[in-house]
Amino acid sequence: MQGSDFAPTSARRENIPALMLLAPFVIAFLLFFAVPAVETLWLSMTDSSLTRTNAFAGLDNYRLLLNDPSFWDSVGNTFYFAVLTVVPLTALGLLMALLVNHFVKAQAWLQGVFFLPFVLPISVMTLIADWMLQPSTGVVNHLLGGQRAWLADPHWALPAVAIGTVWWTVGFNLLLFLAGLRNIPQDLYEAAALDGARGFTLFRAITWPALRPVATTAVILQLIASLKVFGQTYILTSGGPFNTTRVTLHYMYETAFTQSDAGYAAAIAMAFVAIVILLSLLQAWIVRWLAGRDG
Amino acid sequence: MASVRLRGIRKHYGDNPVIKGVDLDIEDGQFVVFVGPSGCGKSTLLRMIAGLEDISAGTLELGGVVSNAVAPSRRGIAMVFQSYALYPHMSVYENMGFALKLAKVPKAEIRERVTHAAAILQIEHLLDRKPKALSGGQRQRVAIGRAIVRKPEVFLFDEPLSNLDAALRAQTRVELARLHRELGATMIYVTHDQVEAMTLGQRIVVFNAGRIEQAGTPLELYQRPANLFVAGFLGSPRMNFLKATLVSGEGGLAVVRLAGGATVGVAANGAHARTGAGVTLGVRPEHLRIAGPDGGGIAGRLALVEYLGDVTLAYVQVEGADGMVAVKCHGKAGLPALGSRVSLGFEAGAGYLFDEDGAALPAA
Amino acid sequence: MSARTGIAWSAAGAVAAILLAALWAFPLLWALSTSLRPELETVSNQFHWLPRHWTVDAYTRTLGAGNVVRWLVNSFVVALGVTVLTMAISLMAAYAFSQLRFRGRGLLFGVAMLGFLLPFEALLVPLFRTMNQLGLINSYAGIILPQVVSPVVIYVFKQFFDAIPADFREAAVIDGAGPLRVLWSVYLPVSGNIVWAMAIVTFIAAWNNFLWPFIIVTSNDMMTIPLGLTQTYDAFGVRYAQLMAAALLGAFPVALAYVAFQRRVTQGFLAASGLKG
Repeated sequence: MQGSDFAPTSARRENIPALMLLAPFVIAFLLFFAVPAVETLWLSMTDSSLTRTNAFAGLDNYRLLLNDPSFWDSVGNTFYFAVLTVVPLTALGLLMALLVNHFVKAQAWLQGVFFLPFVLPISVMTLIADWMLQPSTGVVNHLLGGQRAWLADPHWALPAVAIGTVWWTVGFNLLLFLAGLRNIPQDLYEAAALDGARGFTLFRAITWPALRPVATTAVILQLIASLKVFGQTYILTSGGPFNTTRVTLHYMYETAFTQSDAGYAAAIAMAFVAIVILLSLLQAWIVRWLAGRDG
Repeated sequence: MASVRLRGIRKHYGDNPVIKGVDLDIEDGQFVVFVGPSGCGKSTLLRMIAGLEDISAGTLELGGVVSNAVAPSRRGIAMVFQSYALYPHMSVYENMGFALKLAKVPKAEIRERVTHAAAILQIEHLLDRKPKALSGGQRQRVAIGRAIVRKPEVFLFDEPLSNLDAALRAQTRVELARLHRELGATMIYVTHDQVEAMTLGQRIVVFNAGRIEQAGTPLELYQRPANLFVAGFLGSPRMNFLKATLVSGEGGLAVVRLAGGATVGVAANGAHARTGAGVTLGVRPEHLRIAGPDGGGIAGRLALVEYLGDVTLAYVQVEGADGMVAVKCHGKAGLPALGSRVSLGFEAGAGYLFDEDGAALPAA
Repeated sequence: MSARTGIAWSAAGAVAAILLAALWAFPLLWALSTSLRPELETVSNQFHWLPRHWTVDAYTRTLGAGNVVRWLVNSFVVALGVTVLTMAISLMAAYAFSQLRFRGRGLLFGVAMLGFLLPFEALLVPLFRTMNQLGLINSYAGIILPQVVSPVVIYVFKQFFDAIPADFREAAVIDGAGPLRVLWSVYLPVSGNIVWAMAIVTFIAAWNNFLWPFIIVTSNDMMTIPLGLTQTYDAFGVRYAQLMAAALLGAFPVALAYVAFQRRVTQGFLAASGLKG
């Protein structure tokens, strides 16, 4: 622990330079993180508009929240979206990592193709998705037949956005799994080969157990990221049709900026944060549990 | 050139005492070696002299000035690290000149001092290279050169040879000795290798568990160890130790009985020890002679022989002792077959006795 | 692993790899094909994979009309500003956390890392109000400043600094360097690679940031590319060739950065993410 072996002289010596080096960060942190965070908490307990703070309202906003069907619908949409993306993202990420790892000669190309979408801005993805999903001129309908207006269909809007998101962000999971694969010592495979194992047995006996913690991390990170979805649904479908793609953050945005109800929006934000924190803690706990189990 | 004085130096990490009271005087221009096993605190003490660690209690004087709170760069010291710590992105020239640059020494003078130091160490041709393009031995010279350039009052070496292979180590030892003669500077050298200590040091300080066990010239420590620890630390192979009880201690000859029953005499003053007290007998391998089973010394069986070219090491299993007794002989001649019974003898003046606390009994 | 999986697996794998690669490359290629054809072709009922008449019309019109060039400039200024400021602030803070001893170090670091836990999205409203009070709505500073706080980058740098052997710092201290000097002359050069990696990753993230500019920018002129591109619906109506051209223009700088610095980018993303897990 710091402090115990440092005689007073040395601590004094280094306090001032430390202060200088940390000052920019501390100022920025306070201004753009700590104070807004506290403000959100505060706002959530008031009845405020976007520009004025009004009466203290205690937990009224939260009570409203619990009984607000729009809020819970948005939560449902968000979780639905999360499930639609997390499962394919994890499976595809793993598959792609295995392929990239295997085909060494084509590695740079393969990895490039899969990862490139991830570095693109969101609007590139939405523009292309919108174009491809056009009912009469879109290439998707050309290939599948029919004239379905995907983004205007209450059943298909969210899944369509989800598929676009998968295309856009699979590169991240690819990286995670690749790193995990590369961390597996080669001798494990050699020993297993000597024992006569091959193909799928190798995967089941060595690769998958070693990747389990990475997979867990990937799933939870993806989950948390999916919960934070906003841009795709806002741009592609504006939360419609019939609010089927209105995710929680979108609802919060609308409440704050369209209805100018900053207090209520802050309550939504706090609820949102609570969920994210819970999931993060869950992930840390699971990873630790897995590590303890596998020794 | 200044002297170094340590008075009552203590250091603890939290509740853990690491240096437990050190008093030491180092004269101007001396080459002093701090030696001891891992974790004994010798490196910590060196770093305290350098100013890299704080002193919990006691005073450190450099050149007569109390320096406990003085910043490292102002103590007039320079340090050669075990890992050399050469800045990887700077050339050899820039590495050596860095301290001077920070002190805003004029460029011309930097050039002069760096080239001069490079000449002493014969590394002028390496001045433009980066550390990763140098061999281990070359890097070490640059590290030394960096210290020389600063013209310090005291040079501090932290196990500088441990990263070199054996041949290079021997060669560098010679060069370090030459360097000391040429520069005449005070040098404090930390090592765990007792061969380095014996060959390089004008004075050796043996550390153990945060305390000084003994300080003196190499010969003093070798011939007159103050206790078991020092006796067992210097010398290779290690001094042989046998448990015994004191029979009589009069008249300059202490007689002891060994566990196996043999009685031997040692030129030590046993007057202050009581009869029957447990003692440890110590004899160096080079002082033992192997004779036939009727030789009248310590009985045992020849267990193992190692031929090292110039010397031969014979290991004898002595009755009643754990471990084997090592005997240093010359050549192959005269050793009986393995397994045969032998007796070991030595001159009374070549033996040592240590009491129950490990302190050496005074010489006769 | 490659030698031990059977031939059947290899063949199946090759098929899967080709299929997936084709699938993944398709959208961008299709966008490219769309952008290189005249507008009429995009709405005709005759479907063609490749343009019948190749033309860069869409690009010239996109660059001429609307504010695309202005948006590209804005994005550049913002991304560069965010990157430079984030690197400077994070390097200094990481060095302080890693190498300097001061009271409250552990506590402050823990608090800083709380930034991981609290998503930026939750702070939108108060941040907007703060910016409003500071008069920074719709300004470069307004867009740049909140993005400068990055616990991730600080964490990565701190880990890296921790792993640098202390000998270098001690040698520099003995040579007479103060803490700032040690950072500048020793730690910074030694950390070259990771600094580049994080800089590129930060640049890309800042370039792509949609949410914050969306909140803080109110006029068309100040928009960054991700934002501006969503406006193109109104600007160009339903002219898909131009829309695709705009999209690809917006993608081009970051795609270029990725292709040029592929290793550094993946290294940076890995460093940033492997730690959240």
